[in-house]
Amino acid sequence: MEELRAAIAIGKKDLTILSRYRIAVVSQIFTPLYQGVIPAFLFGASFAVGGRVLGLESTVGTDNLAGFIFLGGVISGLVATSFWAMAMGLRNEMDQGTLEPTWLTPTRHETLIIGRAFGGLLWFILSQIVLFAIGIAVFGLRFRPEIVFALPAVIVAVVGMVGVAYILAAIVLLIREANFFIDCTNFLFSTASGAAFPVTLLPGVFVPVAFALPTTYAMDLLRQNAIGARPALDPTLEYVGLLATTAVLYPIGRWAFARAEQTMRRRGTLAQY
Amino acid sequence: MTAPAVETKDLVKVFERGRRTIWQRLRREPDRRERFSAVDGIDLRVESGEIFGLLGPNGAGKTTTMKMLATLLIPTSGTIRVLGIDPLERPREVRARLGAMLSGERSLYWKLTGRENLEYFAALYHVPPKETNPRIAASLAAVKLSDRADDYVERYSTGMRQRLALARALLPDPQLVILDEPTVGLDPQASRDLRDRVRELRSQGRTVLLTTHYMEEADQLCDRVAIIDHGRIVALDTPAALKRTIRAEEIVRLDIGVAADGGRQVLERLSRVGTVARHERTNGTLAVTVHCASARDLVPAAFDAARAEGATVQHVEVVPVTLEDVFISLTGRQLRE
Amino acid sequence: MTRLEADLRAFAAAALKELRITRRYPAMYLGMIFWPVLLPAVWVLMAQAYSGGNDARAIAAFAARAGTSEIAGFVFVGFAMYMWLSTILWGPGTALRRDQMQGSLEATFLTPASRLVPLFAPPMAALPNILLTFGVMGIALWLLFGVVPAPDAAIRAGVITLLGLPAMYAIGTLFAAGVLRYGEIGPVVQIVRGTFVLACGITFPVAMLPAWAQFGAALLPPTYIVADIRAVLLRGFGLADVVGDVLITLGLTVVIAFLAVFLFRALETSARRTGMLSRF
Repeated sequence: MEELRAAIAIGKKDLTILSRYRIAVVSQIFTPLYQGVIPAFLFGASFAVGGRVLGLESTVGTDNLAGFIFLGGVISGLVATSFWAMAMGLRNEMDQGTLEPTWLTPTRHETLIIGRAFGGLLWFILSQIVLFAIGIAVFGLRFRPEIVFALPAVIVAVVGMVGVAYILAAIVLLIREANFFIDCTNFLFSTASGAAFPVTLLPGVFVPVAFALPTTYAMDLLRQNAIGARPALDPTLEYVGLLATTAVLYPIGRWAFARAEQTMRRRGTLAQY
Repeated sequence: MTAPAVETKDLVKVFERGRRTIWQRLRREPDRRERFSAVDGIDLRVESGEIFGLLGPNGAGKTTTMKMLATLLIPTSGTIRVLGIDPLERPREVRARLGAMLSGERSLYWKLTGRENLEYFAALYHVPPKETNPRIAASLAAVKLSDRADDYVERYSTGMRQRLALARALLPDPQLVILDEPTVGLDPQASRDLRDRVRELRSQGRTVLLTTHYMEEADQLCDRVAIIDHGRIVALDTPAALKRTIRAEEIVRLDIGVAADGGRQVLERLSRVGTVARHERTNGTLAVTVHCASARDLVPAAFDAARAEGATVQHVEVVPVTLEDVFISLTGRQLRE
Repeated sequence: MTRLEADLRAFAAAALKELRITRRYPAMYLGMIFWPVLLPAVWVLMAQAYSGGNDARAIAAFAARAGTSEIAGFVFVGFAMYMWLSTILWGPGTALRRDQMQGSLEATFLTPASRLVPLFAPPMAALPNILLTFGVMGIALWLLFGVVPAPDAAIRAGVITLLGLPAMYAIGTLFAAGVLRYGEIGPVVQIVRGTFVLACGITFPVAMLPAWAQFGAALLPPTYIVADIRAVLLRGFGLADVVGDVLITLGLTVVIAFLAVFLFRALETSARRTGMLSRF
């Protein structure tokens, strides 16, 4: 109970601080829109014939371009939450000097990730609601009712991404150029998950990497159910893959984080900024 | 006899300088990094209810010692007991009973108010919800920040941020409070205020362990002081007892203008009437610190010695014995070098 | 030494200072390989998805809107401008603000050097990085997608780039002056860069924008630079065919540069009056 309260306090703290940077709030909501969604939509629409994106229909089984892109934004947003809010956020606290006093409390150190997950995911949900509202109003975004069947997949993927966040936090707490590392790996992870294009278009050597990520399965299941896209694999296999990758990533993540914490306590690098 | 608040035996912390790349690790190359002992065998016993000071220059090992006690660092060897608990085996229990102020003003969230900072940390300190507001109010009152509690920390002065950091350390109602250089960066008034807060902690029955490189602070505040240098304790006692080890009643500090290679005779004659604790030549001036029984005897002798060698006494200062003199006599260096 | 000579020396020193600072971030070099290659490569793969693996109808539709069916070339040229903008905005665009927050702007203002030195010097330091980025992208376009422009087309593209330098320079200085009042630089960079991405035909043909947005695009130099480089590189245009665009770009450059100086002077005067030079 105390750990849960601490986790909620961490999430609340993050959201409170974020709310006091007004430009950052606007930027975080609208950056995915004007740097990702709108350019992708207009780029895709430039291939349209008679108002229909026939090429997309041929690739994934539906010409619902807005749905394809906005759902890709959901998974990108989830990945970004894990990478930036959960993992890099911890590193930022270390650089600012506020991680050390947190480490001095009896709260479990891994609760710091869970707490950041609470705040990050709440913010992610709120910003997705705004984006979807804009999508519906401006881009003709529409989903099938079956989208609700994909929600369990997204929830499982969230758990998997918390595991990924543990691994990333373990790395960024120990390396110097953390910002660059997170920037690049966030992009690669999101791309490999099929957010921008189906993973079947990846060069062959990268396809196994894609299928090692829980978000790849969640992406495909979401698009299948929400816009009737053609599945990359049998849906049952995809659920198995999602559960298996999450079951592997989460404990590995916790282990990596505990190891990183031990290393920092041995090296004395917690307060180096 | 009550159990000590802190007890360490042969505490050692060795750091490696430099990096060992992943490639070197994979190839199992020998670790050629330079090792240095930040803490080199410290035996410490801090009694309950006292204010105990670790006094030493920058880089002496004070902060490293504190961090090991606070569970932030794993010792290389040695044993530690904090409030009877081994911080390596049960770190969370130690942290639940400990209040620590380690990095002062940098450790606060500037975009939160003082109160919001404390609310946050109260949750992390597992303060029960019903007790949170009363404890926050008590902590703010203890550091006299109640009237500014709802201002953003970014608008606080440095002294106020230090006090807020102290308030945070009091949230778990700790039996032991550890403070690392609590007055660094503060002006004299703010430092005085903070020291008053520290004395109040003792009057509440708490144990305070603090580090400082300000000898006046250690002298005024601490019941006992351990002087630490190069990772070892070189002396440990009450400030008065430490000063008595100097075997001098007064300290005379002289600046004597001497020729390029002069001053030897002056030093020789001074050593006959007192103990030359330190001397340093800079740009034709010989700065000498002499421990003596009576400055009334030493000062005329110093003038005579200077005249005999054709030197000039430029400045004379007679001061009481301080912990800095103790440090100099033990290490040959000043605290602020 | 005359005042002008002294200011030119100061200008060179400021540019060198900026170059030294940026080169002490080794990750920057990795970034100059990673982003210029992967960002456009992902968009080319997106184009594969949208075109159904090069469906002739889809490609023809794109070509009608973009003026070329060479999708990889279209994307890479657009992203070359994106990288150029990013380099300008993140580097020299934020240099003044960083100096201000660190306190070194105040120290610079204590010297007799012209106030315009800290404003105009940093973009010079960005030039080597930009040229390196373009080289990396050219190699990536060739190795990954087999697109090799004809040498004379490449030369014409180089000329357009050179002629576009003053415009990008001016944008950098205007941005640098503009952000001096903002505490949060990062989000402002994102917003400004995003505006350029949407307006200038960087990732999609300008023809896809509504009419009012196309009017706005016509006021931004990058719109012309990107379109002209695509025209000479991918559509076989000669320099004479784009001279009108070049003149418009140069005209806009003068306007933007004047705006930058005006804004900077106004802010500087205000800071000297209020005593808030170290924190505008």
